[in-house]
Amino acid sequence: MTEGTGAVEQGNVAETGKSVPVGSRELSTWQAMRRSWQAYALLAPIFILLLIFNYYPPILGLLRAFYRWRPGVEASFVGLQHFGVYFTSPETGRELLNMFKLLAFFFFSGAVVPFIMAVLIFRIRDTESKELYRLFLIIPMLVPLIVVILLWKQIYDPNLGVINGLLEQFGLGFLARNWLGDTATALYSIMFMGFPWVSGVGTLIYLGGLGQISESIFDACEVDGCTGLRRTLQIDLPLVLGQVRLMTILAVIAGVTSFQQILVLTDGGPGFATMVPGLTMFHKAFRTQQFGYAASIGMVLFVITFAVTLAVNRTVHPAVEEVRH
Amino acid sequence: MSTTTSTQVAPPARRPLRYYQIGSHLFIAVMLLLSLIPTYLLITWSFKNGLQYRWERWAISFPLRWRNYVAAWDIVGDYMINTIIVAIFGLMGMLLLSLIGGYVFARMDFPFRETLYYAIIALLMVPWVLSFIPAYMVYVRLGLLNNRLALIIPELAGGPIFGIFLMRAFISGIPEELYESARCDGAGVLDLIGRITLPLSLPGLATLAVLNFIGVWNSFLWPLVMIQDDEKQMIAVGLYKLARSATSGGVPGWTSQDFSVWGPLYAGYVIASLPLVLLFILLGKFYVEGLVDSGLKV
Repeated sequence: MTEGTGAVEQGNVAETGKSVPVGSRELSTWQAMRRSWQAYALLAPIFILLLIFNYYPPILGLLRAFYRWRPGVEASFVGLQHFGVYFTSPETGRELLNMFKLLAFFFFSGAVVPFIMAVLIFRIRDTESKELYRLFLIIPMLVPLIVVILLWKQIYDPNLGVINGLLEQFGLGFLARNWLGDTATALYSIMFMGFPWVSGVGTLIYLGGLGQISESIFDACEVDGCTGLRRTLQIDLPLVLGQVRLMTILAVIAGVTSFQQILVLTDGGPGFATMVPGLTMFHKAFRTQQFGYAASIGMVLFVITFAVTLAVNRTVHPAVEEVRH
Repeated sequence: MSTTTSTQVAPPARRPLRYYQIGSHLFIAVMLLLSLIPTYLLITWSFKNGLQYRWERWAISFPLRWRNYVAAWDIVGDYMINTIIVAIFGLMGMLLLSLIGGYVFARMDFPFRETLYYAIIALLMVPWVLSFIPAYMVYVRLGLLNNRLALIIPELAGGPIFGIFLMRAFISGIPEELYESARCDGAGVLDLIGRITLPLSLPGLATLAVLNFIGVWNSFLWPLVMIQDDEKQMIAVGLYKLARSATSGGVPGWTSQDFSVWGPLYAGYVIASLPLVLLFILLGKFYVEGLVDSGLKV
């Protein structure tokens, strides 16, 4: 960052060299800044909005995690109390376990399955079918997320649901159950939503990555007799590791922070069977007005997201550049 | 097999792997059909009355009950108009700020340019869970609870973060000669932005608009907590509330007896999906690019 600024400074000094005599470096920066007033004026509205609505809230959240806080009442400092309460409350272990289960599953459904699908579609020779498959991948994405969730809620319904209806039709009525209302199946039903998880941004991103690999690599690998699964593991996978990393990070973020589908499908129930920390944060803030406590859960989730993202970034290294193009 | 003609479009014709290809086609087709089942059910159910829903759950049943769509529009229409109002104001502001920001960072030379740029880009890494609760408090403090501005401002303020990132890259690709000749003709900064950059960066702006429109259309948790009046509510929350009240018989004009509430409800879901379908038909290329870009923003 400092390097960049230095270069810009020098550029400006060079440009305005005639009018600036040998003076102190700070003075010339100052003059260059005054000369560029238009740039700052154009950026001012953007930064004013960002300061109020995008920089201030997260900083405020990090501070207020240590306060008792609710609208209309002056915040009072409570130190680490919220964190103590959260980590000693009996439901927390369950919540965190659910969160990590969801995270692991989202890795499978969001990063692994789309990769397999993309590799299969990429190897289809017939260009027309390829295009058709791409189109069919996109169609389910044209349905708003809330509609998808509400549809799946209906699919799981114990009395009117499609799954139980199907089971009864095939004489498997004994397997029918209240999928979302049963402690044993609720969390897995939430994971199963969206089956078979192939349509979505993931497959398109992988297809884009595979499309960038140079044709000569595939030819060379064909000559060496490297086909099928071996090619997938030794050629395709290493060359789209950048995309793999991206999808893994997205899965981590979704696993830790997303609770919209849980809110709509089960609201954390039955009991605490599908509760996750994000939903607890939401409940604490908007049902019991414990905004400071909620902010402290938000902070915990931020730390978890940050740590796991960092770990993924450290372990997954995209293939060397020379192999591409 | 002539290898010369096929090299341009498809991978060069290799020794046939027929079984493998047929197997892949089958597998892909089955997976895609499975993922289309919910969409299929959504559309067929939307045309059924209570009896048809009860007895012909899987098949398309005739006559098609278009009346469901009339009943649904009466309720869903207002939510959709609200959402479109928010989208129009939010997106116009967001596009303007992204264009200006993208231009300034791509084309102007000034001290602390990179520092300021990275200060903006760093915001992409702040997860929304961290800011959700405090942002709510900030908006309440500003008296924006239950105010449409609370829906527009996040788009206006937050949209340009990714917007500037995208537009800077896009505007950097415009040839410098165009700007030079305009400068020789005495064009000011605003001319350079409005007369040269704007027309040449329309594809980038379209991608951004599509991407953010999808975001607004799907936004759920924020309007759920910010908006209390049903008359101002956005589509996603509107559908959520409709689904809850419809099944408990609380929607005026809808008979909740004998499964007849489901047809209009699903018709509402279909109507709510139409803007995204329309967007895809009109701007398909930008739609896909936008979705892929949204994934690449991390």
